[in-house]
Amino acid sequence: MSRGAIRRIALWAVAGMLLAVWAFPVIWALLTSFKTERDVLAYPPVWLFKPTLDNYREVIFGTSSILPNLWSSIVVATASTFLTMLIAVPAAYALARLNYPGRKASGFYVLATQMLPPVGLIIPYYLVLQKIGALDTYSGLTAIYLTFSLPFAIWLMVSYFEDVPYEMEEAALLDRAGRLRALWYVILPQVRGGIAVTTVFVFLNAWNEFLFAVVLGGNRVRPVTVAMFNFISVEQTQWARLAAGAMLAMAPVILIGLFAQRHIVKGLTVGAVKGGGRR
Amino acid sequence: MGVSVPRPGDTLARQERRFALALLAPALLVLLLTTTAPLFYLAWTSLQRIDLGMPWLSGFAGLDNYSKMGADPRFWNSLWLTFVYTGSTVVLQVVIGLSLALLVLQIPRGQGVLRVAAILPIVLAPVVVGLFWRTLVLSPEFGLVDLVTRALGLGSHNWLGDPQLALISVIAIHTWQWTPFAFLVLLATLATLPPDVYEAARLDRASAWQRFIHITLPLARPAIMMVVILRMMTALSAFAAIFAATGGGPGSATEILNLYAYRTSFTELNLGYGAALAMVLLALTLVISYFMFRLRRAR
Amino acid sequence: MSRSASVRMEGIVKKHGAFTALHGIDLEIRPGEFFALLGPSGSGKTTTLRILAGLEPVNAGRVLMDDADVTHTQPGERDVAMVFQSYALYPHMTVAANIGFPLKMVGKPAHEIDLAVRDAAAKVEIGHLLERKPGQLSGGQQQRCALARAIVRSPRLFLLDEPLSNLDAKLRLETRAELRKLQRSLGVTAVYVTHDQEEAMTIADRMAVFMEGRIVQVGTPHEIFRKPATVAVAGFIGTPPMNLLPASLTAAGVRLGGALLEVAAPGVSGTREVILGVRPGDLRVATAGIPARVEFVEDFGDSSIVNLEVGGQRVKLRAGESPDLAEGREVNLAFDPRAAHLFDRATGQRL
Repeated sequence: MSRGAIRRIALWAVAGMLLAVWAFPVIWALLTSFKTERDVLAYPPVWLFKPTLDNYREVIFGTSSILPNLWSSIVVATASTFLTMLIAVPAAYALARLNYPGRKASGFYVLATQMLPPVGLIIPYYLVLQKIGALDTYSGLTAIYLTFSLPFAIWLMVSYFEDVPYEMEEAALLDRAGRLRALWYVILPQVRGGIAVTTVFVFLNAWNEFLFAVVLGGNRVRPVTVAMFNFISVEQTQWARLAAGAMLAMAPVILIGLFAQRHIVKGLTVGAVKGGGRR
Repeated sequence: MGVSVPRPGDTLARQERRFALALLAPALLVLLLTTTAPLFYLAWTSLQRIDLGMPWLSGFAGLDNYSKMGADPRFWNSLWLTFVYTGSTVVLQVVIGLSLALLVLQIPRGQGVLRVAAILPIVLAPVVVGLFWRTLVLSPEFGLVDLVTRALGLGSHNWLGDPQLALISVIAIHTWQWTPFAFLVLLATLATLPPDVYEAARLDRASAWQRFIHITLPLARPAIMMVVILRMMTALSAFAAIFAATGGGPGSATEILNLYAYRTSFTELNLGYGAALAMVLLALTLVISYFMFRLRRAR
Repeated sequence: MSRSASVRMEGIVKKHGAFTALHGIDLEIRPGEFFALLGPSGSGKTTTLRILAGLEPVNAGRVLMDDADVTHTQPGERDVAMVFQSYALYPHMTVAANIGFPLKMVGKPAHEIDLAVRDAAAKVEIGHLLERKPGQLSGGQQQRCALARAIVRSPRLFLLDEPLSNLDAKLRLETRAELRKLQRSLGVTAVYVTHDQEEAMTIADRMAVFMEGRIVQVGTPHEIFRKPATVAVAGFIGTPPMNLLPASLTAAGVRLGGALLEVAAPGVSGTREVILGVRPGDLRVATAGIPARVEFVEDFGDSSIVNLEVGGQRVKLRAGESPDLAEGREVNLAFDPRAAHLFDRATGQRL
């Protein structure tokens, strides 16, 4: 075989290995979710098995249903994403393109707030929310989620806003648009893609949040990330059900990842090359 | 809007300022409320003794918590673990990510599939990843890794229960989840490097290794630095995956500072000391990010 | 069609931190004039244009349009239209929407906008491109779209910031003439920034030459060409530029390179250090005159430029088809004394 061919095969082998390492755990979990508990614990591992929907039935309709948790996740993630984008986009515009006193300082400030370790913040959050009775509430949790979403969203959007040529506002102002209409009619349409990507990231982060959810949530508001622990206790691990629950919990996020894959990669690169970011 | 009568002195600059501050105000307000104010509260709490388990002992404690930390072996252990954890995961991610990116760059047709595969670990919730690994991958007897080691004749091990192996396992989990990030970013960066520089180097008879050291690395340096910084931040605040996989244990074998602060505050209910630990973590994060940003801007 | 404004700038000073971009600009532009702001990069001409547009604040001075003080008026309130160097077309809107945008902003009804857009588009001959987006247009078409957007609202003042610099050479020449025709037919006052002196010379009614933040000369292109006020202007205008050589001036004439040339110099006593300026077209090879050595000849087919060396400096001479001049040959250069320009060597001012 030619040297080039050997090289190609080696490269493909590496690529295949990568594929396996990264994709396999998820596929394994998917397979496990269709097995019976007995099949799961069988050794040697069973590859051909009789698939069952029992796990999913239990996880959706049964006593350990995670439907209320899915609902919590949906409400909190959607609400916090919406609020975040509403506040972040105008702020990012100002930071990126307008001149005002304290511009540099406010930029540093936004960057600095991303550096705060969440563990440090939950202690005061817990104490304050407890005092005002906002623990285990949708509004409390949504508001707290803004903490990590906002700086991240602002920073991503700033780099998208910076890509629009500066003459756009000037042309719009000369066309008698005024600042607000210049933003609405001329600038925002040009960062539509950036807004979409940022929204995806903010939603992903919010959906996957665990620490804030477990400390500041409770019995009423319990996102799906916390509910995973329902299937693990000191006595036993309900393997197959855990797998089914996890697949369900991660389904939205995986779907978004698969469909928006190109945009996510672009967003990662933009965020990495031009500024800070949580992910 | 439309035509507005210009007030004397109502210059373009002034209007711009007002507009900017109006747009920025909500964000600044929220941030002040949710980050700066709590920070002061945290500092205040760290000066207290708040023991929810033994409320009669609560009260102002000054710098007691901090001096206690100096003599607390568990604290030093967590600090050490934090350094090991952060350092090794970041180095592994960058080295593996960069190598893979370089390799994959040469098989353009495979890149599409690999990008999809790479996305999966990144979009999963860290807590789910921790649970996956704890149950499906690292379980003695039934986990994937154990199956492989048994097949290879290396026997079965308690990957998360053995203090020595636990740290390695936890590092592996974090690396598994976040290497794709480094991989994707570096792949995209490498793909945009100008080909003519390489052609010139070839004409100058530079070997592949020399081309890597003298052209690829310097050109990719900004992206690599940014990846390092971002990954460091994530590693310092990593919580969910370790919590799900080991809870900080066995004992304190995987109890990075993050987790120590959490356990102290919410498991042992010693909020004052927990707050002090969190303050130290914060200081650590700020110092490291300061240096990293300076490093990035230098040269 | 459009109204045309008179423009006056009085004592305009503009600073960026410690750096002074404009040192006190005084300018007067008459209604309906095509006025060029000419100068090398960084000379302050674009800054002046942006001040007229209202996009930059001033540190001192006044801007008046039609005798009203507009120094502090918003750009949108000045009834001024601008064509940016990059055109600044809104990429997400169609050409029609781009052109109609200024009318939409003042709330004109849809059918009026439609008529005006078609009218403007027809004037610049892009009526067939109305449904396309700017990204689908060629450079020349984009430029015309920017023009149409500017003329659609019949402004009283037109500002153009190097509108032709992004076009290729041939297109530039064609568009130059069309711009001129358009301005004439609209009758609107136009201020045009460029660093290309040939462009300014051919297109403007009057022009102002900028150097390092000051206006060094104002006049018609012909005036400036015939009588440049300083050495800098002299060396800037003309293709190829004027030859500028250091010389000494006495009552007897100009002494240069060992030769004495009769040049009338009013009221000169003693010896004065000067710079002698002669255009390449005014130089000729003669039996006696300034000694020079031929370096090489640029042949353009029907004319040629002979590059010679005089006392260490390069001098250009315009000659006809295939001049009989070999490289290295020693010749003498002479010129009509009336075609000489004399400048004081120290100040650069015209004598």
